[in-house]
Amino acid sequence: MTLILGIAGSFIAITGFAVLLETPRKYVPLAGLAGAIGGGIYLYCTQKEMDVVLASFLSALAIAFVSHVFARVFKAPVTVFLIAGILPTVPGTGMYRIVYYIIENDREMCGYYLLQTLEIAGMIALAIFIMDTVFRFRKPQRERGAD
Amino acid sequence: MDHKLVIDTAVLAGEILLKSGAETYRVEDTMKHILNTGNTETAEALVMLTGIVATMEDPGVQPVTVMRRVNDRGTNIYRIIEVNDISRKYCSGKMSLEATYAALKDLKRRQYSTAVYNIATVLVPMGFAPLWGGGLKEVAASAFVGGALALLMTVGKRLRAGGFFLNAVCAAGTTAASILLGRLYPALNVDTLIISGLMPLVPGMAVTNAVRDTLRHDFISGGARALEAFMTAAAIALGAGVGMLLMQMVDPGGAFL
Repeated sequence: MTLILGIAGSFIAITGFAVLLETPRKYVPLAGLAGAIGGGIYLYCTQKEMDVVLASFLSALAIAFVSHVFARVFKAPVTVFLIAGILPTVPGTGMYRIVYYIIENDREMCGYYLLQTLEIAGMIALAIFIMDTVFRFRKPQRERGAD
Repeated sequence: MDHKLVIDTAVLAGEILLKSGAETYRVEDTMKHILNTGNTETAEALVMLTGIVATMEDPGVQPVTVMRRVNDRGTNIYRIIEVNDISRKYCSGKMSLEATYAALKDLKRRQYSTAVYNIATVLVPMGFAPLWGGGLKEVAASAFVGGALALLMTVGKRLRAGGFFLNAVCAAGTTAASILLGRLYPALNVDTLIISGLMPLVPGMAVTNAVRDTLRHDFISGGARALEAFMTAAAIALGAGVGMLLMQMVDPGGAFL
């Protein structure tokens, strides 16, 4: 139940965010779909008590993959789907907790979340990096400008 | 062929792309393609996050160089796609140079009205609430938080507030509104509300582009974008902190969160 609500939520959230980024109408639901897949994987992983960092990595990997596939199928730049779709994994939670514990004067927890946020940011970078590299391999030279 | 117009078109396309938040390699690629239609011996485009330089040169002729400083950057995927299309049409010969320049000049700025924009701002926190551990009551409460955020953003844009300041104020308003709702209805999970409310402000684009630019060995732009993401994150963190302290001061007796 929570999972379904979470997936539906990510779809709505990313659809909204895509509008904020001025994504053309026909791509808005697709961006939402990419986000829903990522959000669903993230939620599923955390429900299975997986580490947040690993969950972020897996969902970012899935989103990057889906974005690249969408970009090729629907002939649009990857950015269109990637920027909106990656949002569920961006460590907003960590940022908030860092500030919260600074104000609470809890150095230990603050440091913990600071490190975790940096780790998640690094994992997102790694996921995008991997997918970009993978898809660059199997792309003919003349289409280079297209992604 | 009019070299001056070719370079003007290329720089205009580059400027629009850069201002719309395109990756650096895409801007350079597009400009290079347009510049190459001038058939000069050398045609170079150098794009950094904060500026553009393009030059065209033939042996024995004075080189043409145009430089543009790009100050404010946002995200506008519509314009990125449109410029991509126009430049591709031009390079494949389906569009004349004059028509291309005019089309780039006339490109629409936004395609959604302020109302749609505000509805979207409300939808983002609502959608994110379940993802950060909220139930249906948090979703409903997030709508109010999103509304507060939409209001602050609209007012801030009217007043032409700068990026850092606007982000901080929005974050402070969102946090304060969430804590206020939590005080009124103690059953709500305030953490979820705040985090969901802050999501529309999170620098997702800067992070993504920082990675992709660095991957393409555009180190200056990649580093600059990473710094941009960090600045936004700092603004949000600062704002959230101010919001929390503010609510603490308003009601010192109330439990903190």
